[in-house]
Amino acid sequence: MPDPTPAPIDADSRRNLVRLLRVAYPHPRFPDGPYERTADAIIGQVDDSLWQRLVLSEGLTSLDARATADGQDSFVDLDDETALGLLRKLEDSEFFRFIRSVAVVTLYDDAEVHQLLGYEGPSFEQGGYLHRGFDDLDWLPNPRIEEYHGPEHLIEVAPDDEPTHASTQA
Amino acid sequence: MTHDTSSQKPNPNQRSDAEHLPSQQEHYGASIDHDEEAVVIVGSGAGGGTLAYELTAKGIPCVVLEAGPYLMPEDYENDEWASFKQMAWLDGRTSSGPYRVARDWPRLPAWVVKAVGGSTTHWSGATPRFRAHEFRTRTYYGDIEGANLLDWPITLEELAPYYDRAERAIGSTHRHGRPPLPANNNYKVFANGAEKIGYRFYATGPYGTNAEPYDGRPASIQDGFNFQGDKSTAKWNTAVREIPRAIKTGKCDLRCTSQAVQVTHDAGGRVNAVLYVDKAGALHRQAAKVVCVAGNSIESPRLLLMSASALHPDGLANSSGQVGRNYMRHLTGSVYARFDEPVHMYRGETMAGIIADEARQDTSRGFVGGYYLETLSLGPAFLAAFVDPGLWGPEFTEVMDAYANTAGMWIVGEDLPQQTNRVTLNSAVRDQWGLPAADVWFQDHANDVAMRNHGYGRADLLYEAVGAVGVHHTPPYPATHNLGTCRLSERPEDGVADRWGQAHDVPGLFISDGSQMTTGGAANPSLTIVALAIRQAEFIADQLGKGAL
Repeated sequence: MPDPTPAPIDADSRRNLVRLLRVAYPHPRFPDGPYERTADAIIGQVDDSLWQRLVLSEGLTSLDARATADGQDSFVDLDDETALGLLRKLEDSEFFRFIRSVAVVTLYDDAEVHQLLGYEGPSFEQGGYLHRGFDDLDWLPNPRIEEYHGPEHLIEVAPDDEPTHASTQA
Repeated sequence: MTHDTSSQKPNPNQRSDAEHLPSQQEHYGASIDHDEEAVVIVGSGAGGGTLAYELTAKGIPCVVLEAGPYLMPEDYENDEWASFKQMAWLDGRTSSGPYRVARDWPRLPAWVVKAVGGSTTHWSGATPRFRAHEFRTRTYYGDIEGANLLDWPITLEELAPYYDRAERAIGSTHRHGRPPLPANNNYKVFANGAEKIGYRFYATGPYGTNAEPYDGRPASIQDGFNFQGDKSTAKWNTAVREIPRAIKTGKCDLRCTSQAVQVTHDAGGRVNAVLYVDKAGALHRQAAKVVCVAGNSIESPRLLLMSASALHPDGLANSSGQVGRNYMRHLTGSVYARFDEPVHMYRGETMAGIIADEARQDTSRGFVGGYYLETLSLGPAFLAAFVDPGLWGPEFTEVMDAYANTAGMWIVGEDLPQQTNRVTLNSAVRDQWGLPAADVWFQDHANDVAMRNHGYGRADLLYEAVGAVGVHHTPPYPATHNLGTCRLSERPEDGVADRWGQAHDVPGLFISDGSQMTTGGAANPSLTIVALAIRQAEFIADQLGKGAL
């Protein structure tokens, strides 16, 4: 059986998707690149599934219809708060859940995002963090690393919790 | 190097044993004939890997069937998702029941490893022991509605010498003269907070990663990758210690990518073989005089349930009806706290920070049993996926934006065994061989909820004491500690196996992993699984020597 004609994700739909991702995952520090890469990963995933293709295509197109109801020409024209409110209404839809499921494992699995968030990524080849700041926190005193050897003892069973007849069951 | 008192002489210049083995072969070591009645061990993790070493070191031939490949340290990836795809057990499985994992992760009830070394490949390293009363929970906790509590058929006193040996095998810090790991950034926040709220029993261990060279493996370089396999080999796991040493004895036949699918018995009811599928899907039969099942607490009961016979219509070794029941997953919850100053929690040994003050029985807190608090860190990729599945919008990005200034900890405590928390065969979902997948049905007991909420509260106080500006409570995620589905019991009607782990109703069949745990204790389970395996190996060797097996 021939593959059905794919519902196209056109440039307008992609633009809506990038905007949606920025509203759903707002990071003022992030440039467009990570959001665009995530959008392309989402679009790339639908190639294998007619259902997801239909859901994504119709969802992205119809965002503009929802925006029109709010008095704007298109979804990308909505301000952040209005757009967020619109997405809140859609959060249980198949459309939004699909986007979210891919976005959350893609946007934050990105070397540029790691850098923006202050995560340094692979470390073994650089000798770990032994000489690169594993213990450079200086706003608290250095704590004890040995186990406690002071006068207190950990009471494993509180006196009131000692069984009254602990020997009845061997 | 005078810290160790065991017979293993440490040599810091010796390279790791595993470095001498080639990567990802289908077979390693001796070639045992398929018709030779060997000791057959299913799984090569904390239980199976330890048994393989202890038995072959005594000259007993063993066939080890491992479902996954033999990944070597150079294969491991410093990348959370790439590593997950490389080593996590992703074959068909389902989660069900009221717990949130069934909604968030319907196909991933557990995060365990499919590779030689099993879940010791991705374990963090915390090695506390069980406390004495945790072997006797029915006696100490009483008859709790909804719980299926039972005292273990063994005591701490009996296990203590094996705990000593397990700690030496693992190289636990703070034990037997081995030094502590230094404080990393996440620990500095954790320990300062602990001190401020009156905790005393905190330290950077005991922990199964070398603070200095030991046993042929190097000291930690604090690379921050534990859950992805340790490329440096500073962390103990059976893939770098027990399995290579077992192979060196010339008595171990390790077959990788070999999934056990059935354990069979003879007319007299004793085990006689294991059927397994190789990488190409071909079915093989390995004769056995002893079978040790150590496939983790989901695969082990699944294998027994798939081994039903006319003699055992409800599954092999299941005349008690307890196979698959009393599944425990440890309490599990995490707390991430945001600060005005940098933390960089991902730098350094992930779980080298343990608070034991709450690991005690004190019902004035509103629950039975206890819990540990342990440092925890995830990279942004996993934090995004696990911090609060389904959360999005500014509440979510606030957590992610604070990543560099975030400290994290895990709450790990005893959850109560319940008969209805259960591993069964899901005949509607099949694995790649067409075999029924395991389904894990789980519901928190009210005691679990009360303990978790107490833990969240204490964690909040701890972090606020050192200036946290916000905290986030992360719900339980796919279980890393899977326990109790083939439990030990004194009486055959109460459980699956006896005080040595031998099935009550199938001679020659042993339960050798965390599924034998009668109850789960608060402690991370690997040390206890290793101790039980060393003890079981002694018993099996003794019985084989006497001709009793």
